[in-house]
Amino acid sequence: MSYNKKMFHEVCKFLGTNLDSKPCKMLQIHLNKCHDCEIFVDKIKKTVEIYKKADKCDSLPENVSKRLYAFLNLKNQDKSFKRN
Amino acid sequence: MLLNYVALENNNQKEQELVSKAKQGDRETLSQLVSIYSRRIYHFGLKLTGNEQDAEDILQDTFLTMLKKINQFQGRSSFYTWLYRIAINIGLRKIQSKKMNYQLDSINDPDIEKIHSEHIHKWPKFDSKNISSKRFRKKLDEALEQLPEIYRTVFILRDLHELSTDETSKILQITPPNTKIRLMRARNFLKNKLEDLVKEENLI
Repeated sequence: MSYNKKMFHEVCKFLGTNLDSKPCKMLQIHLNKCHDCEIFVDKIKKTVEIYKKADKCDSLPENVSKRLYAFLNLKNQDKSFKRN
Repeated sequence: MLLNYVALENNNQKEQELVSKAKQGDRETLSQLVSIYSRRIYHFGLKLTGNEQDAEDILQDTFLTMLKKINQFQGRSSFYTWLYRIAINIGLRKIQSKKMNYQLDSINDPDIEKIHSEHIHKWPKFDSKNISSKRFRKKLDEALEQLPEIYRTVFILRDLHELSTDETSKILQITPPNTKIRLMRARNFLKNKLEDLVKEENLI
């Protein structure tokens, strides 16, 4: 199987940055030729996407919020504070 | 007008005004700061520890520290960077006190030989119904919990809280290249876990 070890090192190096960044896009040229690396990067992208989609960063649970303000002895406020 | 984390993030002047008033002991402003950041700090604690009670402890201790030390905040970083750093220190102390054991041998760089021998099939486009099921989410959380905290913190901040490499580096007090390496290893580790999960769930 033909693949370029040096190029793969570059793929790994940039996997730690935004996958849509310019250097990553340049690597696309290599990935288009190297099926295995293409699949590898696709899986990394999907992993991040899945975690993002599955992640529910909802509002603070009401009971947790109540206990927090009571603990701090502060007046309770909505999560999005309304100003006049 | 709604004032939330995103609005404040894009408005340094507003943040400075709020912090300045909070430093003078204005209780309503302190309360506003809690309101703006509490959801994210709780979420961070939850992802870091995988435990609601621990997340609540981190949340309460973080804001208690904020109340006590806000006068020490000198504005060299953004306020939320300072607050995250407090939360991370508290969270890491909590984790270390529990002496959790990790599979350290699994946290490696991607292995080129393995990639060319094992990664034959593409993953499908995942059905959002599968992803959002409680069982699947629990398994994702379990995989995240298996990541040592130095990698988990980077993954949470960079990929879940969508902070930049520079912001993450400042919060964790590590260099940007180190942040990138940790993120790459975290993503690779989670990908490998997901690989098993995809097979387990018959998703391919």
